[in-house]
Amino acid sequence: MNGHCNVNVNDTVEKFQCNNGFSDLSIDTKKSERDTSRKEDEDKSCLDLHVLEAAYTSILRELGEDTDRQGLLRTPLRAAKAMQFLTKGYHETISDILNDAIFDEDHNEMVIVKNIDMFSLCEHHLVPFFGKVHIGYIPNKNVVGLSKLARIVELFSRRLQVQERLTKQIAMGISEALRPKGVAVVIEATHMCMVMRGVQKINSRTVTSTMLGVYLEDPKTREEFLTLSQNP
Amino acid sequence: MEHSKQTQYSSNEKKDGGSVLNGHFDGMVKRSAAAQPPGAESGSHRPVMESWREERTRSVEDNEMSLPCLAAAYTTILRGLGEDPQRQGLLKTPWRAATAMQFFTKGYQEKIIDVLNDAIFDEDHDEMVIVKDIDMFSMCEHHLVPIFGRVHIGYLPNKRVLGLSKLARIVEIYSRRLQVQERLTKQIAVAITEALQPTGVGVVIEATHMCMVMRGVQKMNSKTVTSTMLGVFREDPKTRDEFLTLIRS
Repeated sequence: MNGHCNVNVNDTVEKFQCNNGFSDLSIDTKKSERDTSRKEDEDKSCLDLHVLEAAYTSILRELGEDTDRQGLLRTPLRAAKAMQFLTKGYHETISDILNDAIFDEDHNEMVIVKNIDMFSLCEHHLVPFFGKVHIGYIPNKNVVGLSKLARIVELFSRRLQVQERLTKQIAMGISEALRPKGVAVVIEATHMCMVMRGVQKINSRTVTSTMLGVYLEDPKTREEFLTLSQNP
Repeated sequence: MEHSKQTQYSSNEKKDGGSVLNGHFDGMVKRSAAAQPPGAESGSHRPVMESWREERTRSVEDNEMSLPCLAAAYTTILRGLGEDPQRQGLLKTPWRAATAMQFFTKGYQEKIIDVLNDAIFDEDHDEMVIVKDIDMFSMCEHHLVPIFGRVHIGYLPNKRVLGLSKLARIVEIYSRRLQVQERLTKQIAVAITEALQPTGVGVVIEATHMCMVMRGVQKMNSKTVTSTMLGVFREDPKTRDEFLTLIRS
Protein backbone atom coordinates (compact mmCIF):
# COMPACT_ATOMS: atom_id res chain seq x y z
CA MET A 1 0.00 0.00 0.00
CA ASN A 2 1.31 3.42 -0.81
CA GLY A 3 2.15 5.94 1.87
CA HIS A 4 -0.60 8.33 0.93
CA CYS A 5 -3.28 5.75 1.15
CA ASN A 6 -2.15 4.71 4.63
CA VAL A 7 -2.10 8.27 5.85
CA ASN A 8 -5.43 9.08 4.31
CA VAL A 9 -7.10 6.00 5.71
CA ASN A 10 -5.79 6.56 9.24
CA ASP A 11 -6.65 10.26 9.28
CA THR A 12 -10.05 9.63 7.87
CA VAL A 13 -10.69 6.76 10.25
CA GLU A 14 -9.81 8.91 13.28
CA LYS A 15 -11.84 11.90 12.17
CA PHE A 16 -14.61 9.58 11.24
CA GLN A 17 -14.82 7.86 14.59
CA CYS A 18 -14.91 11.19 16.41
CA ASN A 19 -17.72 12.55 14.29
CA ASN A 20 -19.94 9.55 14.05
CA GLY A 21 -20.98 7.90 17.28
CA PHE A 22 -22.19 4.85 15.47
CA SER A 23 -19.12 3.93 13.39
CA ASP A 24 -18.54 0.42 12.20
CA LEU A 25 -15.85 -0.31 14.78
CA SER A 26 -18.25 0.41 17.62
CA ILE A 27 -20.78 -1.91 16.03
CA ASP A 28 -18.20 -4.70 16.01
CA THR A 29 -17.60 -4.24 19.73
CA LYS A 30 -21.29 -4.26 20.54
CA LYS A 31 -21.86 -7.40 18.57
CA SER A 32 -19.02 -9.33 20.20
CA GLU A 33 -20.31 -8.37 23.62
CA ARG A 34 -23.76 -9.59 22.70
CA ASP A 35 -22.40 -12.79 21.22
CA THR A 36 -22.23 -14.29 24.68
CA SER A 37 -25.72 -15.74 24.53
CA ARG A 38 -27.86 -16.39 21.47
CA LYS A 39 -30.98 -16.98 23.55
CA GLU A 40 -30.51 -13.58 25.18
CA ASP A 41 -30.36 -12.07 21.70
CA GLU A 42 -33.54 -13.81 20.62
CA ASP A 43 -35.40 -12.78 23.75
CA LYS A 44 -34.26 -9.21 23.33
CA SER A 45 -35.31 -9.20 19.71
CA CYS A 46 -38.75 -10.50 20.66
CA LEU A 47 -39.12 -7.87 23.35
CA ASP A 48 -38.00 -5.17 20.92
CA LEU A 49 -40.67 -6.33 18.48
CA HIS A 50 -43.40 -5.94 21.09
CA VAL A 51 -42.13 -2.51 22.02
CA LEU A 52 -42.06 -1.44 18.39
CA GLU A 53 -45.52 -2.90 17.81
CA ALA A 54 -46.96 -0.91 20.70
CA ALA A 55 -45.30 2.26 19.41
CA TYR A 56 -46.82 1.76 15.96
CA THR A 57 -50.27 1.14 17.41
CA SER A 58 -49.95 4.42 19.25
CA ILE A 59 -48.86 6.17 16.04
CA LEU A 60 -51.86 4.87 14.10
CA ARG A 61 -54.24 6.08 16.79
CA GLU A 62 -52.64 9.48 17.03
CA LEU A 63 -52.94 9.91 13.26
CA GLY A 64 -56.69 9.52 13.65
CA GLU A 65 -56.99 6.05 12.16
CA ASP A 66 -59.14 3.21 13.46
CA THR A 67 -56.75 0.46 14.59
CA ASP A 68 -59.57 -2.08 14.65
CA ARG A 69 -60.44 -1.90 11.01
CA GLN A 70 -59.54 -4.93 8.96
CA GLY A 71 -56.73 -3.39 6.93
CA LEU A 72 -54.90 -2.12 10.02
CA LEU A 73 -55.36 -5.04 12.42
CA ARG A 74 -51.87 -6.47 11.98
CA THR A 75 -50.21 -3.34 10.66
CA PRO A 76 -48.27 -2.53 13.87
CA LEU A 77 -46.63 -5.96 13.74
CA ARG A 78 -45.91 -5.75 10.00
CA ALA A 79 -44.56 -2.21 10.30
CA ALA A 80 -42.35 -3.22 13.24
CA LYS A 81 -40.92 -6.18 11.34
CA ALA A 82 -40.45 -4.02 8.25
CA MET A 83 -38.55 -1.44 10.28
CA GLN A 84 -36.37 -4.13 11.82
CA PHE A 85 -35.59 -5.44 8.33
CA LEU A 86 -34.80 -1.95 7.07
CA THR A 87 -32.30 -1.48 9.92
CA LYS A 88 -30.79 -4.97 9.92
CA GLY A 89 -27.41 -3.52 9.04
CA TYR A 90 -26.86 -2.69 12.69
CA HIS A 91 -26.56 -6.35 13.55
CA GLU A 92 -24.02 -7.36 10.95
CA THR A 93 -20.28 -6.83 10.69
CA ILE A 94 -17.89 -6.57 7.78
CA SER A 95 -16.01 -9.71 8.78
CA ASP A 96 -19.24 -11.76 8.82
CA ILE A 97 -20.32 -10.72 5.38
CA LEU A 98 -16.94 -10.88 3.69
CA ASN A 99 -16.84 -14.52 4.67
CA ASP A 100 -13.16 -14.83 3.78
CA ALA A 101 -13.92 -14.12 0.14
CA ILE A 102 -10.62 -12.31 -0.27
CA PHE A 103 -8.29 -13.86 -2.81
CA ASP A 104 -4.67 -13.36 -3.72
CA GLU A 105 -4.63 -12.22 -7.32
CA ASP A 106 -1.88 -10.45 -9.12
CA HIS A 107 -4.19 -7.85 -10.57
CA ASN A 108 -3.61 -4.14 -10.26
CA GLU A 109 -6.10 -2.71 -12.73
CA MET A 110 -9.31 -1.00 -11.79
CA VAL A 111 -12.29 -3.15 -10.77
CA ILE A 112 -15.70 -1.48 -10.91
CA VAL A 113 -19.08 -2.77 -9.76
CA LYS A 114 -21.75 -0.28 -10.75
CA ASN A 115 -25.53 0.19 -10.53
CA ILE A 116 -25.84 -1.54 -7.18
CA ASP A 117 -29.41 -0.77 -6.04
CA MET A 118 -29.41 0.76 -2.60
CA PHE A 119 -32.29 1.38 -0.18
CA SER A 120 -31.79 3.23 3.06
CA LEU A 121 -33.70 5.27 5.62
CA CYS A 122 -33.17 8.98 6.19
CA GLU A 123 -32.21 9.36 9.85
CA HIS A 124 -33.88 12.74 10.05
CA HIS A 125 -37.36 11.83 8.89
CA LEU A 126 -37.38 8.01 8.94
CA VAL A 127 -38.43 8.02 5.29
CA PRO A 128 -36.68 5.99 2.57
CA PHE A 129 -34.03 7.20 0.20
CA PHE A 130 -32.88 4.95 -2.60
CA GLY A 131 -30.61 4.97 -5.58
CA LYS A 132 -27.55 3.40 -7.13
CA VAL A 133 -24.06 2.88 -5.81
CA HIS A 134 -20.99 2.64 -8.03
CA ILE A 135 -17.84 1.23 -6.48
CA GLY A 136 -14.37 1.10 -7.94
CA TYR A 137 -11.11 -0.06 -6.41
CA ILE A 138 -7.56 -0.80 -7.50
CA PRO A 139 -6.45 -4.04 -5.86
CA ASN A 140 -3.11 -4.40 -4.12
CA LYS A 141 -2.55 -8.12 -4.53
CA ASN A 142 -5.95 -8.90 -2.97
CA VAL A 143 -9.26 -9.00 -4.75
CA VAL A 144 -12.63 -9.44 -3.10
CA GLY A 145 -15.59 -11.53 -4.27
CA LEU A 146 -17.71 -9.14 -6.36
CA SER A 147 -20.97 -9.78 -4.56
CA LYS A 148 -19.22 -8.82 -1.32
CA LEU A 149 -19.05 -5.24 -2.53
CA ALA A 150 -22.84 -5.30 -2.87
CA ARG A 151 -23.11 -6.92 0.57
CA ILE A 152 -21.02 -4.14 2.07
CA VAL A 153 -23.47 -1.67 0.53
CA GLU A 154 -26.36 -3.59 2.12
CA LEU A 155 -24.64 -3.67 5.50
CA PHE A 156 -24.26 0.09 5.70
CA SER A 157 -27.39 1.13 3.86
CA ARG A 158 -29.81 -0.92 5.98
CA ARG A 159 -29.47 1.62 8.81
CA LEU A 160 -30.67 5.09 9.70
CA GLN A 161 -28.37 7.04 7.46
CA VAL A 162 -27.21 10.28 5.98
CA GLN A 163 -26.07 9.86 2.38
CA GLU A 164 -22.69 11.49 2.99
CA ARG A 165 -21.91 9.14 5.84
CA LEU A 166 -23.13 6.09 3.94
CA THR A 167 -20.75 6.85 1.06
CA LYS A 168 -17.82 7.23 3.41
CA GLN A 169 -18.63 4.10 5.42
CA ILE A 170 -18.74 1.96 2.29
CA ALA A 171 -15.39 3.34 1.13
CA MET A 172 -13.82 2.90 4.55
CA GLY A 173 -15.19 -0.61 4.90
CA ILE A 174 -13.60 -1.71 1.64
CA SER A 175 -10.37 0.11 2.47
CA GLU A 176 -9.95 -1.56 5.82
CA ALA A 177 -10.84 -5.01 4.55
CA LEU A 178 -8.64 -5.05 1.46
CA ARG A 179 -5.98 -2.35 1.91
CA PRO A 180 -6.20 -1.55 -1.82
CA LYS A 181 -4.33 1.18 -3.68
CA GLY A 182 -7.49 3.23 -3.86
CA VAL A 183 -11.23 3.09 -3.43
CA ALA A 184 -13.94 5.21 -5.05
CA VAL A 185 -17.61 5.22 -4.17
CA VAL A 186 -20.31 7.30 -5.85
CA ILE A 187 -23.95 7.27 -4.76
CA GLU A 188 -26.81 8.86 -6.66
CA ALA A 189 -30.06 8.74 -4.74
CA THR A 190 -33.58 10.11 -4.52
CA HIS A 191 -34.70 11.23 -1.08
CA MET A 192 -38.38 10.70 -0.38
CA CYS A 193 -38.16 13.30 2.39
CA MET A 194 -37.58 15.88 -0.38
CA VAL A 195 -39.95 14.35 -2.88
CA MET A 196 -43.00 13.35 -0.82
CA ARG A 197 -42.94 16.24 1.63
CA GLY A 198 -41.18 19.51 2.40
CA VAL A 199 -39.93 21.17 -0.75
CA GLN A 200 -41.53 18.42 -2.97
CA LYS A 201 -39.11 18.34 -5.86
CA ILE A 202 -39.85 15.12 -7.68
CA ASN A 203 -36.91 14.90 -10.04
CA SER A 204 -34.19 15.94 -7.62
CA ARG A 205 -31.26 13.59 -7.07
CA THR A 206 -28.40 13.81 -4.59
CA VAL A 207 -24.94 12.67 -5.63
CA THR A 208 -22.14 12.06 -3.12
CA SER A 209 -18.73 10.56 -3.59
CA THR A 210 -15.74 9.42 -1.56
CA MET A 211 -12.30 9.03 -3.16
CA LEU A 212 -9.49 7.37 -1.25
CA GLY A 213 -5.90 6.57 -2.15
CA VAL A 214 -4.92 6.96 -5.78
CA TYR A 215 -8.42 8.05 -6.67
CA LEU A 216 -7.91 11.09 -4.48
CA GLU A 217 -4.36 11.84 -5.64
CA ASP A 218 -4.48 11.09 -9.32
CA PRO A 219 -7.08 12.98 -11.37
CA LYS A 220 -6.69 10.66 -14.35
CA THR A 221 -7.53 7.58 -12.29
CA ARG A 222 -10.55 9.34 -10.86
CA GLU A 223 -11.62 10.37 -14.34
CA GLU A 224 -11.34 6.84 -15.62
CA PHE A 225 -13.57 5.61 -12.81
CA LEU A 226 -16.15 8.34 -13.32
CA THR A 227 -16.29 7.71 -17.05
CA LEU A 228 -16.60 3.94 -16.72
CA SER A 229 -19.22 4.09 -14.00
CA GLN A 230 -21.50 6.53 -15.81
CA ASN A 231 -24.55 5.18 -17.57
CA PRO A 232 -25.04 6.44 -21.14
CA MET B 1 -72.55 16.17 5.01
CA GLU B 2 -71.43 12.91 3.53
CA HIS B 3 -74.75 11.24 4.34
CA SER B 4 -76.83 14.08 2.96
CA LYS B 5 -74.85 13.99 -0.27
CA GLN B 6 -75.52 10.31 -0.54
CA THR B 7 -79.27 10.76 -0.09
CA GLN B 8 -79.40 13.54 -2.64
CA TYR B 9 -77.50 11.40 -5.06
CA SER B 10 -79.87 8.46 -4.65
CA SER B 11 -82.89 10.67 -5.13
CA ASN B 12 -81.38 12.12 -8.29
CA GLU B 13 -81.02 8.75 -9.85
CA LYS B 14 -84.60 7.94 -9.09
CA LYS B 15 -85.76 11.16 -10.75
CA ASP B 16 -84.12 10.67 -14.11
CA GLY B 17 -84.37 6.91 -14.02
CA GLY B 18 -80.63 6.36 -13.61
CA SER B 19 -79.81 7.82 -17.01
CA VAL B 20 -76.47 9.20 -15.92
CA LEU B 21 -75.03 6.02 -14.50
CA ASN B 22 -75.06 2.48 -15.68
CA GLY B 23 -76.54 -0.40 -13.77
CA HIS B 24 -73.17 -1.55 -12.45
CA PHE B 25 -72.50 1.67 -10.65
CA ASP B 26 -76.03 1.93 -9.37
CA GLY B 27 -75.68 -1.59 -8.07
CA MET B 28 -72.46 -0.73 -6.28
CA VAL B 29 -73.99 2.24 -4.51
CA LYS B 30 -77.08 0.36 -3.40
CA ARG B 31 -75.01 -2.61 -2.24
CA SER B 32 -72.78 -0.45 -0.15
CA ALA B 33 -75.64 1.38 1.49
CA ALA B 34 -77.61 -1.77 2.24
CA ALA B 35 -76.42 -5.20 3.38
CA GLN B 36 -73.00 -6.29 4.44
CA PRO B 37 -71.17 -7.80 1.46
CA PRO B 38 -70.06 -11.42 1.83
CA GLY B 39 -66.38 -10.56 1.87
CA ALA B 40 -66.49 -8.43 5.03
CA GLU B 41 -64.95 -9.89 8.16
CA SER B 42 -67.08 -10.21 11.21
CA GLY B 43 -64.34 -8.59 13.25
CA SER B 44 -64.60 -5.14 11.62
CA HIS B 45 -67.07 -2.62 12.87
CA ARG B 46 -68.53 -1.73 9.55
CA PRO B 47 -68.94 -3.30 6.12
CA VAL B 48 -65.84 -3.23 3.95
CA MET B 49 -67.53 -1.35 1.14
CA GLU B 50 -68.71 1.46 3.38
CA SER B 51 -65.38 2.30 4.93
CA TRP B 52 -64.15 3.93 1.74
CA ARG B 53 -67.10 6.26 1.64
CA GLU B 54 -66.26 7.86 4.94
CA GLU B 55 -64.37 11.09 4.95
CA ARG B 56 -62.67 11.31 8.29
CA THR B 57 -61.92 14.71 9.58
CA ARG B 58 -58.84 15.54 11.58
CA SER B 59 -58.08 19.15 12.35
CA VAL B 60 -54.92 21.20 12.64
CA GLU B 61 -55.57 21.39 16.39
CA ASP B 62 -55.75 17.59 16.56
CA ASN B 63 -52.38 17.50 14.85
CA GLU B 64 -50.81 19.81 17.41
CA MET B 65 -52.22 17.81 20.27
CA SER B 66 -51.04 14.46 18.94
CA LEU B 67 -47.53 15.63 18.12
CA PRO B 68 -45.94 14.94 21.55
CA CYS B 69 -47.47 11.45 21.64
CA LEU B 70 -46.28 10.71 18.13
CA ALA B 71 -42.81 11.99 18.92
CA ALA B 72 -42.67 9.79 22.03
CA ALA B 73 -43.68 6.77 19.95
CA TYR B 74 -40.90 7.51 17.47
CA THR B 75 -38.36 7.86 20.27
CA THR B 76 -39.44 4.41 21.47
CA ILE B 77 -39.00 3.06 17.96
CA LEU B 78 -35.49 4.49 17.68
CA ARG B 79 -34.53 2.87 20.96
CA GLY B 80 -36.20 -0.38 20.02
CA LEU B 81 -34.09 -0.53 16.86
CA GLY B 82 -30.92 -0.23 18.90
CA GLU B 83 -30.11 3.36 17.99
CA ASP B 84 -29.10 6.13 20.38
CA PRO B 85 -31.82 8.86 20.29
CA GLN B 86 -29.41 11.27 21.98
CA ARG B 87 -26.84 11.36 19.21
CA GLN B 88 -26.70 14.56 17.21
CA GLY B 89 -28.29 13.27 14.01
CA LEU B 90 -31.26 11.78 15.87
CA LEU B 91 -31.95 14.46 18.48
CA LYS B 92 -34.91 16.04 16.68
CA THR B 93 -35.80 13.05 14.56
CA PRO B 94 -38.89 12.00 16.58
CA TRP B 95 -40.45 15.43 15.98
CA ARG B 96 -39.46 15.52 12.33
CA ALA B 97 -40.72 11.98 11.74
CA ALA B 98 -44.00 12.76 13.55
CA THR B 99 -44.58 15.91 11.50
CA ALA B 100 -43.66 14.04 8.32
CA MET B 101 -46.15 11.28 9.12
CA GLN B 102 -48.87 13.82 9.78
CA PHE B 103 -48.10 15.35 6.40
CA PHE B 104 -48.27 11.96 4.71
CA THR B 105 -51.74 11.46 6.19
CA LYS B 106 -53.06 14.98 5.72
CA GLY B 107 -55.79 13.61 3.49
CA TYR B 108 -57.68 12.87 6.68
CA GLN B 109 -57.89 16.59 7.35
CA GLU B 110 -59.55 17.49 4.10
CA LYS B 111 -62.95 16.98 2.64
CA ILE B 112 -63.73 16.77 -1.05
CA ILE B 113 -66.37 19.44 -0.77
CA ASP B 114 -63.83 21.97 0.51
CA VAL B 115 -61.30 21.18 -2.15
CA LEU B 116 -63.65 21.40 -5.10
CA ASN B 117 -64.29 24.98 -4.12
CA ASP B 118 -67.25 25.37 -6.42
CA ALA B 119 -64.96 24.88 -9.41
CA ILE B 120 -67.71 23.09 -11.27
CA PHE B 121 -68.80 24.86 -14.40
CA ASP B 122 -71.65 24.42 -16.82
CA GLU B 123 -70.10 23.70 -20.17
CA ASP B 124 -71.74 22.18 -23.20
CA HIS B 125 -68.92 19.74 -23.72
CA ASP B 126 -69.39 16.04 -24.04
CA GLU B 127 -66.03 14.86 -25.32
CA MET B 128 -63.46 13.06 -23.21
CA VAL B 129 -61.34 15.09 -20.82
CA ILE B 130 -58.13 13.46 -19.61
CA VAL B 131 -55.61 14.62 -17.03
CA LYS B 132 -52.70 12.19 -16.99
CA ASP B 133 -49.36 11.70 -15.27
CA ILE B 134 -50.51 13.12 -11.96
CA ASP B 135 -47.72 12.24 -9.50
CA MET B 136 -49.11 10.42 -6.52
CA PHE B 137 -47.52 9.61 -3.14
CA SER B 138 -49.28 7.46 -0.62
CA MET B 139 -48.54 5.20 2.37
CA CYS B 140 -49.13 1.46 2.35
CA GLU B 141 -51.54 0.77 5.20
CA HIS B 142 -50.02 -2.64 5.80
CA HIS B 143 -46.38 -1.69 6.28
CA LEU B 144 -46.43 2.10 6.68
CA VAL B 145 -43.96 2.44 3.80
CA PRO B 146 -44.39 4.77 0.78
CA ILE B 147 -46.20 3.98 -2.44
CA PHE B 148 -45.62 6.32 -5.36
CA GLY B 149 -46.65 6.47 -8.95
CA ARG B 150 -48.86 8.20 -11.47
CA VAL B 151 -52.59 8.62 -11.76
CA HIS B 152 -54.42 9.07 -15.07
CA ILE B 153 -57.98 10.33 -14.95
CA GLY B 154 -60.48 10.61 -17.76
CA TYR B 155 -64.14 11.56 -17.72
CA LEU B 156 -66.95 12.29 -20.14
CA PRO B 157 -68.74 15.42 -18.92
CA ASN B 158 -72.50 15.63 -18.81
CA LYS B 159 -72.95 19.36 -19.17
CA ARG B 160 -70.65 20.01 -16.22
CA VAL B 161 -66.88 20.22 -16.18
CA LEU B 162 -64.48 20.41 -13.26
CA GLY B 163 -61.50 22.74 -12.84
CA LEU B 164 -58.58 20.62 -14.01
CA SER B 165 -56.41 21.09 -10.97
CA LYS B 166 -59.31 19.84 -8.86
CA LEU B 167 -58.78 16.38 -10.30
CA ALA B 168 -55.23 16.50 -8.96
CA ARG B 169 -56.52 17.78 -5.64
CA ILE B 170 -58.93 14.87 -5.37
CA VAL B 171 -55.96 12.57 -5.95
CA GLU B 172 -54.06 14.35 -3.17
CA ILE B 173 -56.88 14.03 -0.65
CA TYR B 174 -57.24 10.32 -1.09
CA SER B 175 -53.61 9.45 -1.61
CA ARG B 176 -52.32 11.27 1.48
CA ARG B 177 -53.78 8.54 3.69
CA LEU B 178 -52.98 4.99 4.75
CA GLN B 179 -54.08 3.29 1.60
CA VAL B 180 -54.47 0.19 -0.49
CA GLN B 181 -54.02 0.95 -4.20
CA GLU B 182 -57.28 -0.71 -5.20
CA ARG B 183 -59.25 1.39 -2.74
CA LEU B 184 -57.47 4.58 -3.73
CA THR B 185 -58.38 4.09 -7.38
CA LYS B 186 -62.02 3.52 -6.53
CA GLN B 187 -62.24 6.45 -4.13
CA ILE B 188 -60.94 8.86 -6.76
CA ALA B 189 -63.39 7.57 -9.37
CA VAL B 190 -66.35 7.68 -7.03
CA ALA B 191 -65.54 11.18 -5.78
CA ILE B 192 -65.47 12.54 -9.34
CA THR B 193 -68.70 10.75 -10.12
CA GLU B 194 -70.46 12.13 -7.08
CA ALA B 195 -69.25 15.65 -7.74
CA LEU B 196 -70.05 15.88 -11.43
CA GLN B 197 -72.45 13.10 -12.33
CA PRO B 198 -70.59 12.63 -15.60
CA THR B 199 -71.41 10.13 -18.31
CA GLY B 200 -68.42 8.09 -17.28
CA VAL B 201 -65.15 8.15 -15.36
CA GLY B 202 -61.95 6.16 -15.82
CA VAL B 203 -59.04 6.15 -13.36
CA VAL B 204 -55.79 4.24 -13.87
CA ILE B 205 -53.00 4.17 -11.30
CA GLU B 206 -49.54 2.77 -11.92
CA ALA B 207 -47.41 2.68 -8.80
CA THR B 208 -44.32 1.27 -7.18
CA HIS B 209 -44.73 -0.18 -3.71
CA MET B 210 -41.69 0.26 -1.50
CA CYS B 211 -42.95 -2.60 0.66
CA MET B 212 -42.24 -4.90 -2.30
CA VAL B 213 -39.07 -3.17 -3.45
CA MET B 214 -37.21 -2.40 -0.21
CA ARG B 215 -38.21 -5.49 1.74
CA GLY B 216 -40.06 -8.78 1.43
CA VAL B 217 -39.83 -10.12 -2.08
CA GLN B 218 -37.50 -7.23 -3.17
CA LYS B 219 -38.44 -6.89 -6.80
CA MET B 220 -36.96 -3.56 -7.89
CA ASN B 221 -38.76 -3.01 -11.16
CA SER B 222 -42.20 -4.24 -10.25
CA LYS B 223 -45.15 -1.92 -10.79
CA THR B 224 -48.77 -2.37 -9.79
CA VAL B 225 -51.51 -1.13 -12.12
CA THR B 226 -55.13 -0.74 -11.00
CA SER B 227 -58.06 0.80 -12.76
CA THR B 228 -61.66 1.75 -12.11
CA MET B 229 -64.05 2.29 -15.03
CA LEU B 230 -67.49 3.72 -14.37
CA GLY B 231 -70.38 4.61 -16.62
CA VAL B 232 -69.70 4.51 -20.37
CA PHE B 233 -66.06 3.72 -19.70
CA ARG B 234 -67.26 0.40 -18.35
CA GLU B 235 -70.08 -0.26 -20.83
CA ASP B 236 -68.49 0.84 -24.05
CA PRO B 237 -65.23 -0.85 -24.99
CA LYS B 238 -64.43 1.77 -27.63
CA THR B 239 -64.59 4.59 -25.12
CA ARG B 240 -62.40 2.66 -22.73
CA ASP B 241 -60.01 1.93 -25.55
CA GLU B 242 -59.76 5.58 -26.48
CA PHE B 243 -59.00 6.49 -22.88
CA LEU B 244 -56.35 3.80 -22.49
CA THR B 245 -54.69 4.73 -25.78
CA LEU B 246 -54.59 8.42 -24.95
CA ILE B 247 -53.03 7.89 -21.54
CA ARG B 248 -50.37 5.66 -23.01
CA SER B 249 -49.17 8.07 -25.66
